[in-house]
Amino acid sequence: MRISLAFLLLIGFVGVASAKPWWMRGIESNETDFLPPDTAFRVGAQVDGSVMRVRWVIADGYYLYRHRMDVKAESPDLMVAAPVFPKGIFKTDPYLGTQEIYQQQVEATVAYTRLDAGAHPLQIKVTYQGCAEAGLCYPPISKVIFPQAPPAGAGASVGAGASEGAAHWKGVGLWEGTAIILGTLAFLLAGFVLRKGRKLDLPAP
Amino acid sequence: MRAAGVAGAALIALVAVGAGAWMHARQQAAGNRAGTHDEVAVPAGHASAPSPSDQAAYGDAAAPGNAAYQPPKIPDQLPIFSLEDRTGKTTSIAAWAGKSLVINFWATWCAPCRREIPLLETLHSEWVGRGVTVIGIAVDHRDQVLKFADQFKIPYPLLIGEQDALDAAAAFGMASPVFPFTVFTDRRGEVVTLFVGELHRPQADLILSVVQNLNDGRVHLPEARQAIADGLSALAAKRAG
Repeated sequence: MRISLAFLLLIGFVGVASAKPWWMRGIESNETDFLPPDTAFRVGAQVDGSVMRVRWVIADGYYLYRHRMDVKAESPDLMVAAPVFPKGIFKTDPYLGTQEIYQQQVEATVAYTRLDAGAHPLQIKVTYQGCAEAGLCYPPISKVIFPQAPPAGAGASVGAGASEGAAHWKGVGLWEGTAIILGTLAFLLAGFVLRKGRKLDLPAP
Repeated sequence: MRAAGVAGAALIALVAVGAGAWMHARQQAAGNRAGTHDEVAVPAGHASAPSPSDQAAYGDAAAPGNAAYQPPKIPDQLPIFSLEDRTGKTTSIAAWAGKSLVINFWATWCAPCRREIPLLETLHSEWVGRGVTVIGIAVDHRDQVLKFADQFKIPYPLLIGEQDALDAAAAFGMASPVFPFTVFTDRRGEVVTLFVGELHRPQADLILSVVQNLNDGRVHLPEARQAIADGLSALAAKRAG
């Protein structure tokens, strides 16, 4: 049984190790594992009151050019302001000069107005273009996406109330709570143990 | 007895801290493994650490490792296509029949494409006398390509196009192209290899030496392809190591 499990694990490992992006599976192209564009750059949007938040998640080793990112209205009744992006990283290339880029993740805020109170589905067109650090670029990508309503109870965390610099991880709060409870327990237990072993040297009445 | 008590208290405290750390690590690992960072909150307008699963709330349909793609078929023979050259004359790739070709797909907005142009110029000058021709296929706006080509005095032939150049890329199996990519053919018009990404000197030397052997009849196409695949793997391993 143990041998069978090891064999299955080995097969699984070999399968994963030999997986290649679809464009590498033709005749002898080089073995570099570049990601398909929709895996390298993932985009989605969420409605948050009077603004939309458009978020790109960027794979490790990849980046997006700020000046090639944009958000436009796609629904006929929708008007959007210019997207507001955070400051990126400045990358200097001898052939392209200095360019502002984003790595890992970036979120743009887009103010919007609807003219017919929601008769049409909310659609925006996002445009972006990026490259892999390893030496490859993707053509500009345009997608029509449907901004999502925030999940129930998530408004406070992603909503307009989230102030500048107030990034917080609720998971970290849980960790802190656990540490406090365990620390308090440890303190009480330590006190109990010390008290149990101690003989008070009280004066005789 | 007192010392034992102190030691016991210290042990309990250590266990408590350890348990807390373990829970924290477990929580993070679970989030990373299953993509359940639902609780990550990102303030407006900040670049931050990625939280891929949080993207689900943003209506992101694409998931990492999406395997829905169908592999394209890279042709065995050079597909015939025509594009405008620098003068505006429509030119067929068949104009270079009988030559080994290094067909480089690029764009002016692509930094790695620009970086490899000096190498392509060198290859052009070194190999043109040995029956190898470098051809640039610019998938870009014509005026920008011409401006760039004049500025950098690109010495090898250029073909330029937008949708028609994308169609040419698709004919090589790159229906959703990435740039740069370079196709190497032998003098019979057989596609020997398609190299995706920025080409460097060791890779180019390896591929062209194999193409030369193929042209001289010292190896057959399957052996040539295998030699290139093995050589590129060895170079990649060397670079990684």
